[in-house]
Amino acid sequence: MNLLLAATDASSKLQNLQSQFGIEGKYLLMQVISFSILAFVLYRFFFKPVLATVDERNKKIEEGLKYAEDTKAQLASAQEQSAAIIKQAQVEATKLIEEARKTAKEFTERETAAATERANALITKAQQAIDLEHKKMLDQARGEIARLVVATTQRVLAKELTDAERNRYNEAAARELTVV
Amino acid sequence: MRGSKQIQQLARQFFALSLVDGRLSAERVTGVLQYLEKHPPAQPLAVLKAYQRLVALEFAKGQAVVEHAGPVTEAVLKSIEGAMSQRYHRPVTSVAKARPDLLAGLRIRVGDDVYESSVSSQLASLSL
Repeated sequence: MNLLLAATDASSKLQNLQSQFGIEGKYLLMQVISFSILAFVLYRFFFKPVLATVDERNKKIEEGLKYAEDTKAQLASAQEQSAAIIKQAQVEATKLIEEARKTAKEFTERETAAATERANALITKAQQAIDLEHKKMLDQARGEIARLVVATTQRVLAKELTDAERNRYNEAAARELTVV
Repeated sequence: MRGSKQIQQLARQFFALSLVDGRLSAERVTGVLQYLEKHPPAQPLAVLKAYQRLVALEFAKGQAVVEHAGPVTEAVLKSIEGAMSQRYHRPVTSVAKARPDLLAGLRIRVGDDVYESSVSSQLASLSL
């Protein structure tokens, strides 16, 4: 009985409360229906395209991230390859430089040897020319001295030889020339 | 120069007539000259010049010109004549000619041949 009284009391209180807040069942139902219609319209024409766009965006972002990852991996691979190529190029460049240095050294040595040889040949030639000139000068001096000596001797003999000496010389010359 | 060859040939013919046993004869030369005087050829002067050259050459071959400085004795000249006659197989006479520039010694010319032994030649060889 108490319970029934309590339930009746509660129902009356609820009705009082509904009346106090202005809540009426039919209006509430109308609002629920209009809200449902609004929710459907919003979902159908607004949220669904927006969600589709968001999904598409997310997909694109994921693809972009994936592409970025791939690109990063490719970049890393390319960097590794470029590093390897650079290292190989450095090795080849070092090798080329060494070969160039070696070739340059050999060329320099060869040129130096040739220049030395040419210089020695020039020195030898110059020495020969000097010797020849010296010999020529000595010969000229010797010839001039001999000429002077002969001229002096001729003058002296022309004055100093006596007839007797000339006669003896003539007889000796005749003996020399008449040998058959 | 047309006739030059004929002139030389004629001169050589006259010269051949001037030799007796391969030696120049004064009589034959005189005879040739008399003939030329009586029978002059086409160009007498040219012929006479050519003949004179041949005679002079032949005469030089029989004469030793002894150039000397200082006295030279007759015995020396005779010895030279004998030696040259023996060398050239014909009589060669000697003619002395003074050449003081030889200083001392002799230079003998027989034709184109020259023999020399003198102080000047020896000194000249020293200065070469």
